[in-house]
Amino acid sequence: MRILRRSVARLENFVMGRRGDQRLREEMEEHLAMQTEENLRAGMSPAEARRQAVLKFGAVEAVREDYHDEQGLPFFENLLQDLRYALRQMHRSPGFTLLTALILTLGIGVNMAIFSIVYHILLEPLPFPQSNQLYAVWARSDAQGNAQIAASGPDFLDYQDHNRSFSRIAEYIRYFSETWTGDGDPKLLHCTGISEGFFDMLGVGPYLGRFYTAKEYSELRNPTTVVSYRFWKSMLGGDPHVIGRVIHVGGGANTIIGVAPPLPDLFPDTDIFAEVTTRPSWEFMKWRSNKFMRVMGRLKPGVTAAMAEDDLIGILRPAPGEPPDVRVQLVPLKEDLVGSVRTQLQIIVLAVVLVLLVACINVAALLLARSARRSAEMAVRLSLGAGRKRLRQQLLTEGFVLTVVACSPGVFAAWLALQLLPRLPALGLPRLEGIHLNGLALLVTTGIAVLTTLLFGWAPSLMFSGLNLASSLKSGRASTGTRHHRFFSSLIVAEIACSMVLSICAGLLLHSYWRLSRVDSGFEPYHMLTTYLRTIYYGPEGRGFWRDVLEGVGSLPGVRAVAVGDCTPGQNVAIATLVFGDRANDPNHAPPAEGCWASSDFFHVSGTPLIRGRFFNSGDNADSAPVVIIDEQAARRYWPGENPIGKLIGVNYTGPGRVGTSAPRMREIVGVVQGMKFGSPESPTEPAVYMPYLQDETHHDLASMSLFVRSVGDPLALDHAIRIRIHAVRPDQPVDAIRSMQDVVSNSLAPRRYSLSLLTAFAALALLVSAVGIYAIVSYTTLQRNREFGIRIAVGATRSNIAVVVFRQGLKLTLIGISLGVGMALLTTQALAQLLFGISPLDATSFCSSVVLLGLISLAACVVPALRSAYLDPVRTLRSE
Amino acid sequence: MKQKKDVQQGTLALMVLKTLDVLGPLHGYGIARRIEQISGALLSVNQGTLYPVLLRLEQEGAIASDWGPSENNRRARFYRLTRAGHKLLEAEKHDWEQTAAIIARFFEVKAEDLP
Repeated sequence: MRILRRSVARLENFVMGRRGDQRLREEMEEHLAMQTEENLRAGMSPAEARRQAVLKFGAVEAVREDYHDEQGLPFFENLLQDLRYALRQMHRSPGFTLLTALILTLGIGVNMAIFSIVYHILLEPLPFPQSNQLYAVWARSDAQGNAQIAASGPDFLDYQDHNRSFSRIAEYIRYFSETWTGDGDPKLLHCTGISEGFFDMLGVGPYLGRFYTAKEYSELRNPTTVVSYRFWKSMLGGDPHVIGRVIHVGGGANTIIGVAPPLPDLFPDTDIFAEVTTRPSWEFMKWRSNKFMRVMGRLKPGVTAAMAEDDLIGILRPAPGEPPDVRVQLVPLKEDLVGSVRTQLQIIVLAVVLVLLVACINVAALLLARSARRSAEMAVRLSLGAGRKRLRQQLLTEGFVLTVVACSPGVFAAWLALQLLPRLPALGLPRLEGIHLNGLALLVTTGIAVLTTLLFGWAPSLMFSGLNLASSLKSGRASTGTRHHRFFSSLIVAEIACSMVLSICAGLLLHSYWRLSRVDSGFEPYHMLTTYLRTIYYGPEGRGFWRDVLEGVGSLPGVRAVAVGDCTPGQNVAIATLVFGDRANDPNHAPPAEGCWASSDFFHVSGTPLIRGRFFNSGDNADSAPVVIIDEQAARRYWPGENPIGKLIGVNYTGPGRVGTSAPRMREIVGVVQGMKFGSPESPTEPAVYMPYLQDETHHDLASMSLFVRSVGDPLALDHAIRIRIHAVRPDQPVDAIRSMQDVVSNSLAPRRYSLSLLTAFAALALLVSAVGIYAIVSYTTLQRNREFGIRIAVGATRSNIAVVVFRQGLKLTLIGISLGVGMALLTTQALAQLLFGISPLDATSFCSSVVLLGLISLAACVVPALRSAYLDPVRTLRSE
Repeated sequence: MKQKKDVQQGTLALMVLKTLDVLGPLHGYGIARRIEQISGALLSVNQGTLYPVLLRLEQEGAIASDWGPSENNRRARFYRLTRAGHKLLEAEKHDWEQTAAIIARFFEVKAEDLP
């Protein structure tokens, strides 16, 4: 209570700026007068009486200081004083301040942004109740390449009926498309199919209205629909009375019964949640081998993933057609979403920590250099009686002010980056929505900044403890202790080493990217465009539409060739299985191939070379004998050393929506083309088969295909004309974005590009900062040696002699730093292996070019100080000493 | 060194309180004189150290002060005990007596007294 009152009184005095000097002076005067009178009465002479009184009172200044300290808050008063002084200092050397602040801003900003992103993506739990009980269910089999295998309709039904591990289990079709007509321009909708109980399993309720009922799940053609929050917000204007509205999806009228809650992590671009009906079910859901359904489940409390895996293996393994080594793998749902980017993100975090390290070291070195320049000032202050503790406090304050000046724009920069980030196209990262500046990241980064502040304050004060006052004052400038010079140099060496590691990593990624961009994907992306067309045709009546579109677009000026196909080079293709006419077939081990239905000019448009046989022609239609073109991978794998032309194969197409027929028709191989990549350039080229789209007896390809156009000039200039021609055929046909094939290829490289550009940016930043560091130390030490240089020049050293001395010093540090950095890189680049393409983690080209680059940069950083020393005026230098 | 100063300040504060309790409102010089008379050594030099202590007590609310005429009709600052000051004095006095008693007992104990 007393302490509180005392503090309040002090604070009040401090804030009001109230000073008791006047009162104290009066009281002391009065005290002395009384004492003097007393002394006079005791018989002293007036002068002696006064003298004795003063003596008895004691040191007036000390009393006044004690009094003052007692009255206000001395710590804060000093702090205010230091703050003012620090700001004045900053004002006096704006270049230095700006540089350090900029380096810290970048370091802190970049770190905060990256930490926030990575924390959100990798660490933040999914926004579902007990989300750690949610698992994705996959099958794996070494006999089938150990890739993750999805489930078929019967697989799921078995799981659902016989498992003892899940409180709920559901299946979903991640993605298919439907047309949306009747509300303005026709559009393409992204649909996700979910089985009964899917939302209950997640533990979420509807945002508006309701989800599908059990009765709706028992009808194959159900006229109700649940829309996504995203669709409702952006396409339906967030209308609160949307329940009951009718929209035309896939040609049929659907009544909206509910709006799903926002699910940005799981389904960032879904418009419609359609039901996946299991009993009864569509024909394609009844094939055991048609494995395209994703399965997700919520474990019962107390059941572990391993127990559930055993449970499901016991269900899956006895199923017909399963390989004997098949096993079930439960992947935590979050891991299922973000597992593919974990390594990349971890590497980026490491890189960004290196950047922060470089920035902090550099700022510390800069401050150290400056305080060395200020050691004369410090010596004067020390000799005038300033306490070392007080000086340390002042230096800490200066460092702190600098950190605050750098932190605030750093936080702002990070915030800005996080606002802009989700809007970047094709970043290839999951869970991008809802990223916010992370409190922990803020804390950690500012914590590091504060630590650096301590370093700023601590390192110079170390120097002062060893400061020789006499010599500093005599020389009038910094006394160069070798100890702190060495400390300073080792800071710069560490900085160069860190930058070296970063630039080698960036070099490796750049080299990989360069290799990738030169990969032959089997098609010619320049002057080629594509767009996805979803129709409402599932039978032969759709043939007219495609024929008219091909004719309409093909007759446009500027169009060299036009084709349709249900695969998109560089993007996606369906998987089929093959049946051979020339050998016995094992139905349990049907060889897989990429399968694509295409129109006759498909290879003319894609620019894929023919190796033998012929391309399709207009004679290959619904009435002619069925034919197939295979690629050289298929030829090599299935007919090694043989000519496949004229052989017969059957193609079993699997995939969502396909209607199963009995045995496939046998087709004659009429041509072999070069292999094409249907993923990014780094994906392998797999065996593939191509068939005339008119020969698909299921007519399923008529429902959706992509249009491909080879143009004379810029393909995107045709955008408008193509849309007009398509709408002339069918006015309510949605036309998705028309994209150049270069864009498609570039999209497939997007995940690689963002990690590449981030790492390159970090490396560039580190290089820049190191250049500043080298510049700072070289200028600082040459400044120290000005006198020596002056004498050398005076006794006849040439300017180039002096320049060489300076360069040699900078080069020495650089070489040590580079060797250290290369050593560290040799040990660490293995971690990058997963991100590299076509080169080893110890790729000599990347290592050498990074070393040369850093060497050149540090030489450049030495140029200014070298020239400055070389052109010293010896007379002025020596006189100024 | 510092501890000694703290102890002195603490004692000084207690003496100030007791002085004001016994003599009523008094100016700084009067307090100093009184303490000097009774304690002898403590304030025979460095009387000035009294003033920061007075300020502290005042900021704690134990005493209050006002300008008033001194014996020879000059302006002097008079300090008086507040109600809180009375309480504080009682508490401190109690503490002090307790401490003194414990210390005294310690000094009285001889080795053979211990069981």
